[in-house]
This record gives sequence, C-alpha cells and structure tokens, in this order.
Amino acid sequence: MSAEVLKYTLEQVESLELAPGAEHENLEGWVPTLASDADLREALEKALDYRGDVTFTLKSGEKIEAYIFNRHTSATLADSWVQYFAPTAPDKRKLSYAEIARIEFSGKDRAAGKHWEDWVKKYNEKKAAGETNIGLAPDALE
Amino acid sequence: MAIPISQVGTVATYVLKKKLTGVKRYPLVLMLEPLFRCSLACAGCGKVQYPPHILKKQLTPEECFAAVEECGAPMVSIPGGEPLLHPQIVEIVNGLIARKKYIYLCTNALELKKKLPEFTPSKYLTFSVHLDGQREHHDFSVCREGGYDIATEGIREAVRRGFRVTTNATFFDGADPSSIRAFFDEVMGMGVEGIILSPGYSYDKAPDQKHFMGRARVRRLFRAILSNRKPTWKFNMSPLFLEFLMGERNYECVPWGMPTYNIFGWQKPCYLLQEGYAETFKELLETTEWKDYGVASGNPKCANCMVSCGYETPAVVEGFTSLKGFIAMARGNFKRYPNANAMKLYNDAAPRPHAPLVQIAEPALEETHA
Repeated sequence: MSAEVLKYTLEQVESLELAPGAEHENLEGWVPTLASDADLREALEKALDYRGDVTFTLKSGEKIEAYIFNRHTSATLADSWVQYFAPTAPDKRKLSYAEIARIEFSGKDRAAGKHWEDWVKKYNEKKAAGETNIGLAPDALE
Repeated sequence: MAIPISQVGTVATYVLKKKLTGVKRYPLVLMLEPLFRCSLACAGCGKVQYPPHILKKQLTPEECFAAVEECGAPMVSIPGGEPLLHPQIVEIVNGLIARKKYIYLCTNALELKKKLPEFTPSKYLTFSVHLDGQREHHDFSVCREGGYDIATEGIREAVRRGFRVTTNATFFDGADPSSIRAFFDEVMGMGVEGIILSPGYSYDKAPDQKHFMGRARVRRLFRAILSNRKPTWKFNMSPLFLEFLMGERNYECVPWGMPTYNIFGWQKPCYLLQEGYAETFKELLETTEWKDYGVASGNPKCANCMVSCGYETPAVVEGFTSLKGFIAMARGNFKRYPNANAMKLYNDAAPRPHAPLVQIAEPALEETHA
C-alpha cells in the first residue's frame, strides 16, 4: 500500500506493518502557473503545507510575505481566504483568494535536509573523524 | 498506581458529570503549545520546522488562561517547542495551578535543573521529561550526545526538590524491547512517579517520513515491552490504553478529547494533523468534520495512529463510566500480563544499538503470539 491510497479498509489498517509517510515536494523557489481557479486553489493547498514563507503579489500590485497556516475554501474565490502571519506584523491576517495574482514559494523550506538519514550520515562522519558531543542544533532565529 | 488519588478523583468526577449531563464531545486534556522554539533539533520532529518569525512568537499568559478556561479540560499538557524557553512559563504554570488544573509540563530537561528554583512543588504540577530510552538510544533519537545525562540530572534534582516527575518516550520502528525494559528500570530507579510512552506517528510535517510503524507492528512491540511487567514499573497512563497498545482492546479515535491550542489557534482536527485552525474551541467542535478522521474513517493520514491524543480519552471514559471498565482499569494497575513468548523474545534477542532504527526493510520484531 502506498500513500496514494485514498481510503483504507479497517482490515488493511489493522494489518499495516509500516506506515507510508508523506511525500514532500521540493517547492522552494517554485512559482506556480495560475491559469485557472483550480490552479490557484491547488497552489494554496501546497502553500498551507509548506514550511517556509511565500510571497503573494496581489492584483493591486502589492506584495505580501506570509507564513500560511490556515485556509477556508468556498464555492467562489471571493469567499475563500488564507490566514497568515507576516514577518513584520504581530497579528494574524486574512487574504481573499480573489486578490491573489501570483505566488512564489520564496522562503527557505525549514523541513528540507532534516531527514533521519541526513542525521545518521552526519553522525557517522563525525564519529569517524573522532569528534565528541555530536549533535544537531536548531536553526538560528536570524 | 502512578497517578495520585486526587487527580483520579478530579478526572472521574469530570467524566461522570459529562455523562450525566449528556455531553457527547468534551475535552479531557488541553494540549497547550505556548511556543514552537526548541533547544533540540530532533530528526523525527515536525513541530519545530518553522521560519524564524514564527519561532519567535509565543502565547501570552493571558492567552493561555483564556484557552484553558474556554476549553474546560481538567488536565493541561504543555508541550511545544520547549516550554522552558518561554520567558513567562512560570507565570503560566502558576496561573494554571491557581485554576486547579493538573499540568504536565513536557520538557527535554536541558534547562530543567537551572529553572527548578523558579517553580514551587504542587500536586497540580508534573514535569514530564522527554527520554526516548537508555543513554545511547535517547541521545541518538534527539540528535544530541550528552542529552540523556543532562535530562537525568534534571530529573534527579526535580525529584529531590519534591516535584512530581514522569518520563515520556516515543518509540519508532526498530526499537529494542530489552533495552526499553532496562530503561524502565533505570527511570523508576531515579524516583519518577511513572512512565508515559507512545508509538511514533507518521506526522505529516516530520522531516523523517520513513520510520513509522503500522498498527500491527505497534501492537507487537508494545506486547513485547509491556508483558511480564515488573512490580516496580508504574505508568502514568490509563491501564486500558496500555492494553489498547498491546492489542487487547480496541477503541475509536476521539480527537476532541485532547485538543491543541497554539499561536495559530485551535488546531484541526488534533495534535498531530494540521488541517487548519479555528478561532474558538466552540468553532473547533462545531466545524471540524470529525467523521473524516480516526482509523474507522479510512483516512490514510490516520492509518497507523494509536497515539494517546486520539485513543487514551476513550480508555479513560470507559474506565470511569462502566463497572466493567472500572474493574478492568483497577486490575490493570496491578496485573503483570504474563506472556512466555514475549519473555523468550527479549531474553533471546541480542542487544541492539541505535543502528536498526534505519533498517526498516526487515521485520524489527517477531510475533509474540500473545
């Protein structure tokens, strides 16, 4: 079974030996083509899952840098919105889908390069080099 | 039994009151995440992978108190991030104690020893220290050599000062049952009140997406670990939930039982999935499509989940709302769960270092036929 399966039966679930994890796309730097409403909706779903900031260019020309953490979808773009934190403002803000002209996955993907295998490789290399107190440090808050 | 009578009584009264008043959906534990910053960078954790401006944000004490009061749960777990990095964590904890909430402050304990003088021991406050196993296993799991020694130093100092202390561990594929059992001996020897444990979950945001056990494997691992219990081991969890992990009971997911509140709002639908946020707890209850989650839903994101935030609430409710459940819960505190096959398994197994954690292609554990 793979993560592509839409729904499991109870029997499948109970006999599952290993759980398929999510497939993470490399989205950093991506600028999706927004030719249709469906394109926009799909891109915003990816932006919701993205662990970095995106930059919106609005139809008014204004640019907004944002970390998206929530969205509400309705039948029309005007009634659909994303909710975000901007790096420069303390409060949560909302933006209507209908205002968005362009999206760029502009911020660093904070989940990239932090796989278990990356840690094992780094650990083995440092151990082989005779290092002690080996560890990973959290990203700097810049 | 690891949990003090006063806490058991508070929870029992709360659950019975909900039953008598016909409330179907109610919270048991609020998962209050005051910040996402952490002093560790564990490879399996997806809770801390945010841009710096998000990591710098934190809930104010007032926001924490408002969430606690709105939710009404008798217990509050404070994970994160690392809560001890919050500059007002003492004020938050004291405010919750004043509200008579039973608090589990979940910490990696790197700062615990230093911060302890700022806290006052209370029956309402438990430090729940993240320890994923014996020294080598824990250090490798949290990606930091020396982490175990610092954490256990903090545990010993907290116990010495009269605080309630538990350990909490998450076990992933390849975990060594013999080592885990030796770990139980170690931590009980440090004087902790009890042990909290959990199977790893295929958290969508975790950088490591390959080491999650399915339910069949979870049951085998926990049957191996939790059979033939030593009388010295105490677990700060519902005995019926532990039987669920061992495959002796079945429950449906109750995600509203342990709701999560953080800087984004009330997380939909649970602590592990992140499918949007509600502004209020009421909105969370009313607008989440609960039928789309849990094993019974067939949702692949829920397929391997046997985690306490979904499955401990129904175990607690069963224990306090039916005579059969109450008797099973009481007996579970003292049962040893004898199992000859499990005994043979860990007696025969060669000690495993951390390396098998990355060898997922081979079965990590043989069937115990319990």
